[in-house]
Amino acid sequence: MRIATFMLILSIILAFQLNLIDPKIIGLIAVNSAKLIPELGIRVDMLGEALKAVYETLIMSLFGVSTGTLIAYIVAPLASPLIAPPSIATTGRLLANTIRTIPAILWAILFVILVGPGPRAGALALSIYTAAYLIKFFYEALESTDREHYDALRVMGLKGLPLALAIYTHIRRQIVSSILFMLEYNVRTATILGFVGAGGVGYYILQYLNLLNYQATMTFVLVTLILVIIIDLLSYIIRTRI
Amino acid sequence: MELDYAVDIKELSFNYGDLVILRNVNLSIKYGELVAIMGKSGSGKTTLLKIIAGLLKPSVGSVRVLGWNITSERIESIKGKIAYIPQTLGLIEGGSVLYNVLLARAPVKPIAFMAGYWGKDDIMEALDTLKLVGLENKAMSRVDKLSGGERQRVAIARALFQRAQLLLADEPVSSLDYETAESIIRLIASLKSRNLTIIAVLHDKEFAYRYFDKIYVIDNGTLKMLR
Ligand SMILES: Nc1ncnc2c1ncn2[C@@H]1O[C@H](COP(=O)(O)OP(=O)(O)OP(=O)(O)O)[C@@H](O)[C@H]1O
Ligand SMILES: [Mg+2]
Repeated sequence: MRIATFMLILSIILAFQLNLIDPKIIGLIAVNSAKLIPELGIRVDMLGEALKAVYETLIMSLFGVSTGTLIAYIVAPLASPLIAPPSIATTGRLLANTIRTIPAILWAILFVILVGPGPRAGALALSIYTAAYLIKFFYEALESTDREHYDALRVMGLKGLPLALAIYTHIRRQIVSSILFMLEYNVRTATILGFVGAGGVGYYILQYLNLLNYQATMTFVLVTLILVIIIDLLSYIIRTRI
Repeated sequence: MELDYAVDIKELSFNYGDLVILRNVNLSIKYGELVAIMGKSGSGKTTLLKIIAGLLKPSVGSVRVLGWNITSERIESIKGKIAYIPQTLGLIEGGSVLYNVLLARAPVKPIAFMAGYWGKDDIMEALDTLKLVGLENKAMSRVDKLSGGERQRVAIARALFQRAQLLLADEPVSSLDYETAESIIRLIASLKSRNLTIIAVLHDKEFAYRYFDKIYVIDNGTLKMLR
């Protein structure tokens, strides 16, 4: 209850700050909706273009997942004190945590500067971002594994990467689940990266929105939505099968 | 050098902080002996096995295992010659039975293991080992789909495939029904002929007296020989 009370008070204060407690705002929404509704609808002639842009988004997301997973597979054991020497683990963890504090959109801006605008910048940004997140997910999963597993495998003589790979197989469910989570995340993020010029459907959405071409905007948004739903569905199906 | 002892423990004491678990333990186990360790819950049986496996360092005393002083730094030398089967077995649940057996050779063939590409010889030998423990029809089954007795057999097959000289098994039959338990104990006892020294933690006196050469009990931190 205390949390709810706190949130209520905070919401009221912030609403004032944001100028949301304003009777005129209702009128504003009504007027703009009235303008928008007749414009609703999609441009069937632009579906092909929208599909191409969404496909670009998908490719960027997938590249982020595939390369991010590969990097995390190898780096996560180095950040886990159960596998790597403690000093290396601490350093590895610090590095991964630092990288993770930088939002994907900032990486996108950086890569737009480094490699120029387009999907290449977005793909590289997602790759780094995914790697940083998966490193955390993977080392946490490695650490939550029963100590007796490590004991048995260590006495057997396993260490380093082979030890990590054996444990990965043991916790395959968690690993696959994290990878799918990042896929869902990337598809959503990749749609926004276009806003800063890093490729994908976001670029078009922003352009058409600026031109007040709502039907074109809706077309691109709709196709994006369909992709997100398909990816979530696929992810759900895979999750239930592992 | 007392090379005729697989395990030679002298005046071992072990404590967790202020809690004394083992005090002044002496234990000499000859190569090829089949030894049962008994004792109440919390008496320190697992602790003793872990010390022999090199997983815990004793507070006081000397521990020689397979001729190596494991209290000194050169512990790496005996890694791989000991198989430790913890109470929860330590099997890789997401892998097949065959994967779990082949895993035992990952330390000597890391590339084959990481690539998931084993030579024909290794696979044939692994299958032979599975036959020995009675799991020849389960090679491709996933470990998490097996019964308790079958899982114990996988762990034993893994130890055999590892070519371990010393097998440490922590309560290998405590969660099994009587018949299954006896079949597992028989299997373990039969390994004596394979030049293997075996130390098993047991709860059942009957099994211990029927199948084991030496029986010890840990009581109040000290180790006593029952047989
Ligand atoms: N990491 C630890 N830190 C502190 N105390 C511990 C630790 N591990 C075990 N102990 C204590 O040491 C004692 C001996 O534990 P141990 O696991 O060796 O007993 P056990 O004879 O194997 O018991 P069981 O039959 O229940 O498996 C217990 O009292 C336990 O609580
Ligand atoms: Mg125990």
